[in-house]
Amino acid sequence: MRRLFVRLALSSVAALAPLVASAQTLPSGPATAFDGRLTVGAEVVATVGDEDDIAFFNYTDYEHNALRMFRVALAASWRPVTRFAFVTELRSEDLNQVRPYAAYVRVRPWLEHPFDIQVGRIPPSFGAFGRRAYQSDNSLIGYPLAYQYLTSLRPDAVPATVADLLIMRARGWRTTYPIGSQEAGPGVPLVSAFRWDTGIQAHWENHLVDATGGVTLGTLSDPKVDDNNGGKQISGRVAFRPVTGLVLGASAARGDFLADDVVDQLPLDSGSHAQTALGADGEYSRDHWLVRGELVWSRWNMPFASPPTSVNLDALGAWIEGRYRLTPRISLSGRVDRLGFSRIAVGPLLTPTWDAPVTRLEADAGYYLQRNLVVRLAVQYNDRDGGRVHQRTYFSGQLAYWF
Amino acid sequence: MRCRLLIAATFVGCVVAGADHSAARHEPVNGAIRGRVEIRQSLPDVARRPNVSDVGMPRAHDPTDRRRSVVYLETAPRAAFDQREEPHAKLDQRNETFVPHVLAIIAGTTVDFPNNDTTYHNVFSLSSIKPFDLGRYAVGRSKSITFDRPGIVRVFCDIHSHMSAFILVFSHRFFAVTDDEGRYRLDNVPPGTYTVVAWNESAPSETKRVTMPDSGGDIESNFSLGKR
Repeated sequence: MRRLFVRLALSSVAALAPLVASAQTLPSGPATAFDGRLTVGAEVVATVGDEDDIAFFNYTDYEHNALRMFRVALAASWRPVTRFAFVTELRSEDLNQVRPYAAYVRVRPWLEHPFDIQVGRIPPSFGAFGRRAYQSDNSLIGYPLAYQYLTSLRPDAVPATVADLLIMRARGWRTTYPIGSQEAGPGVPLVSAFRWDTGIQAHWENHLVDATGGVTLGTLSDPKVDDNNGGKQISGRVAFRPVTGLVLGASAARGDFLADDVVDQLPLDSGSHAQTALGADGEYSRDHWLVRGELVWSRWNMPFASPPTSVNLDALGAWIEGRYRLTPRISLSGRVDRLGFSRIAVGPLLTPTWDAPVTRLEADAGYYLQRNLVVRLAVQYNDRDGGRVHQRTYFSGQLAYWF
Repeated sequence: MRCRLLIAATFVGCVVAGADHSAARHEPVNGAIRGRVEIRQSLPDVARRPNVSDVGMPRAHDPTDRRRSVVYLETAPRAAFDQREEPHAKLDQRNETFVPHVLAIIAGTTVDFPNNDTTYHNVFSLSSIKPFDLGRYAVGRSKSITFDRPGIVRVFCDIHSHMSAFILVFSHRFFAVTDDEGRYRLDNVPPGTYTVVAWNESAPSETKRVTMPDSGGDIESNFSLGKR
């Protein structure tokens, strides 16, 4: 399968090569119909990099490697009347299957007021990167750890003891626990950038403030189309734009994390099993510089059967990235990223972190063949305090095209 | 005697008239080429990319005037290349739109790019004749670029993908941008035979051979671009 994927990715790059030569002939804008009420755009991204089936630093929640991925996305917006818009995006990763990444209705009840309601599979109301995961808007090939790196927690299976949890340190790509699903499966990131949640959100803005709030079925780390626990997540973000070019945001979210199938097997009175998250994000751009940073703190309330107790498992992801446009065609980017975990008591002297902390450094160079066609080369270094592989450096290349 | 004087006066008058007539024939008069460029296909506004990440209706932007065409002489008389001044032009940024959408200038012109919008913009071009990137600059500020070489420069905003404009740089002064009704006028064209080109972003260019007579005057030349 991997060889097939690599061949497909390479052949797609090769297929695009003649287009690159005559790059100005590629469409530069979305297709429109019905007097502009229907617009259709697309993004095609081929990323080729080192294999990672030992360290699994860049695996996503769909068991795909973010540094070895062929992704096709088709987005459409249909606005039959001014107040309504139907918005959807279909996406396929590694040509496996086509999934609706987004599908929602947007309503503006009062045309003169910038207040909107969105219902369906909606963009996240938390943080900034979750709505910026397009390759056209991501300055680097890799993803921030908080939005991609798989922790050892699962919504459909839980450890019976602290020891069960610690055995899975640095094994988020494939964890197994005694309670709940007995099948090995991937853990969850703090916030998923690869799936969106289903629910309703409201948004209002003026020249200074931008506020979004939502109620959804899943959680930040485990977005859902079908509810698995009857609980709802409440999330919100407020962003300030004190001066042009500066955006400062603050977010919060809380929702039931564990599936009913797991909770039913837990001792009674095991309490709440929520994921609670707080976030802060910032962006500043000026001249040829763009600097972005984000802080995501997440707490999962995890029940243990033996002894029957609940423990708060915390994680903190923090990253800062910068992009500098060296020439009209060449841009240089870099990101410093850290994901840390809280400590858990095993004995009087032993308090390891419940998952292995990770540090990631990435540097990219991008060359714009056309406004919407870019070639990137990246080097990414990962350091993890645990697991079979502690350090790993990856080289990757990417061709991204969008319209 | 009176008859001889009359004959002599008539002869002199004929000679003078003949001299005036030959002088008019040897001093050519410049004229104008004018007409209309019809765009036969509908040109929808430049649409915003459907961004599913938006948490609200995207901000409305001004429509882009894509019906503007540029008419120019493919080759121009030698005197047309004489340039005595360094002209200025302006490509404004208003309500997430470049105004005008099509700008025609002579080589050596400095174009100002003022940001008269309410948000950041980042004007740039990847054109081979003048690649540039003005970076992000705030409302009320302006940056400038001098275009030295003839050709077509496609201009974009790095932040707003639906913003685009064309700057056509000419080595001579015989060019004109059509008005709201598609009309154009090239003034002060010396006598001669020229290839007149009509350009529009949406259709292949069309050319016509036009001869300006020595007597000058207005020559009409109309174009129809695009699919019927």
